[in-house]
Amino acid sequence: MSGRVTENMPDYKKDKKRVDGRKMEDLRPLSIKVGVLPNADGSAYLEWGQNKVYAAVYGPREALPKHTQNPYKTNVKVTYRMATFSVPERKQPRPNRRDMEISKVLGEALEKAVFVEQFPNTEISVIVEVVDSNAGSRVACLCAASCALADAGIPMRDLVSATGVGKAFGELIVDLNKDEEDAPDAVDIPFGILPNSGEIVLLQMDGLLKKEEWEKIAVLGNKACQQIYQMQKKALQDKFQLTEVSESAVEAVASGKEETKEAKQRKESKKDSKDNKDSKESKSKKVKK
Amino acid sequence: MKKLVIPGELISQERKRLGGNVFVSNGKIYSKVLGVTEENDEKASVVPLEGKYFPQQEDVVIGVVTRAIFAGYGVNLNSFTESFIPKSAMREDMKVGDLVSAKITYVNELREAELGFPRRMFGGEVIEVIPVRTPRLIGKNGSMLELLKQGTGCDIIIGKNGRVWARNGNLELLRKVVTFINDNAYKSNLTNSVEAFFKSEGIQVSVPKKDEIRPKFDQPSENVEESEVLPSEESEVLNEGN
Repeated sequence: MSGRVTENMPDYKKDKKRVDGRKMEDLRPLSIKVGVLPNADGSAYLEWGQNKVYAAVYGPREALPKHTQNPYKTNVKVTYRMATFSVPERKQPRPNRRDMEISKVLGEALEKAVFVEQFPNTEISVIVEVVDSNAGSRVACLCAASCALADAGIPMRDLVSATGVGKAFGELIVDLNKDEEDAPDAVDIPFGILPNSGEIVLLQMDGLLKKEEWEKIAVLGNKACQQIYQMQKKALQDKFQLTEVSESAVEAVASGKEETKEAKQRKESKKDSKDNKDSKESKSKKVKK
Repeated sequence: MKKLVIPGELISQERKRLGGNVFVSNGKIYSKVLGVTEENDEKASVVPLEGKYFPQQEDVVIGVVTRAIFAGYGVNLNSFTESFIPKSAMREDMKVGDLVSAKITYVNELREAELGFPRRMFGGEVIEVIPVRTPRLIGKNGSMLELLKQGTGCDIIIGKNGRVWARNGNLELLRKVVTFINDNAYKSNLTNSVEAFFKSEGIQVSVPKKDEIRPKFDQPSENVEESEVLPSEESEVLNEGN
């Protein structure tokens, strides 16, 4: 959907700066938190610019109905949905063509990362819910979903990192926002890779590009994905700290309950019994000697 | 040194013996899961921090009866598929919702577990934990389990599938401690902090020493160990006499 050409349209070649003040290869502010939904096996919450996304993972569990079971691999089943209030005009909650398509491509991208052959006849359900959106929600969902999968303890080759790349207002840019996506010359490419091997797992394109432009864009996209990968890694590591159990933690759990009379009595009785034991031990030692 | 790794993270560029939860790509070893690895170990392996229960032969598990039909019972093991216990294997009838402990005798290529030696559990209650963290509840040679039994006075059976069954004793305290261990399973020095926890509750427990821990079934019996210990004690006595 390209917008109309107007006189006061920005020109990125001249301005050297984008409509929201970013440089051409800059990402919007990104933050990820892992393990946010207690009922899911794994979960993640991601904020990327104005995008806000929840991802939950259930499974691997028995695939139902039974005819969907595959004895050679597990099905990674992604359900992508947008909340009715996530866009300016109310979104019909019924899954539409776009929702189904995105669910499909995200599932195929994640399948490349997961060791699917380890779980025959099962299904891994990934549910991603977009709470707020502003261009690039599918790549945000992919990043969140891969963190949630890792959080669920599912064996994976790699995480999946993704970003939008493309062209707007005459310049090649990374992580397009809504204004840039609606530019008259806009090209939008959701670009997802496995960061360690560089393998591309998601690639779609809206618009037209020259071959040289694509080659430049692929480099930009790779660089951006590496940045995102570091943030995903940090989010997963932040959930656990490899330290000794602190005394304050022990106290905090213990202080949940005040010392009752019973506990005090038990203490005293234990003391007595300990004294008795000591005396007995000393006696027995004497006997041995 | 211990290190936290995420899926796909490089563990070693050298050739090493391969342990659990790692894979090799282009001659390098990578982690498969979110977990902890020992960097300087001879063996490249990762201990997972999260995950479902993988049925394995010889595991003791605690199941819940989900289905009762003429031939037997469907049992939920917290795994991917339901297991089955034939009625001929049980002495008494069971109802849906009953607890049963059993040993896994065989796991097939579809990760379906066959159960043997089923025993119905009477009374008690079940505390659920993350299955991959049950080794911390048992401890080295069962030291943590011994501590839990001492501290709470409960009869405890730990199922490898993340279910802890307990009866008698102070169940409320046990629930608290088990949750504490589950939440801090990836941290070191856990046994001592659990001991400190019991102390703060006013209960004296002692961490079993190496020679106090009961031997495994395949190890030589206690008598042999005692006879090994005795001479040294005698020699001490002799020294004192001199």
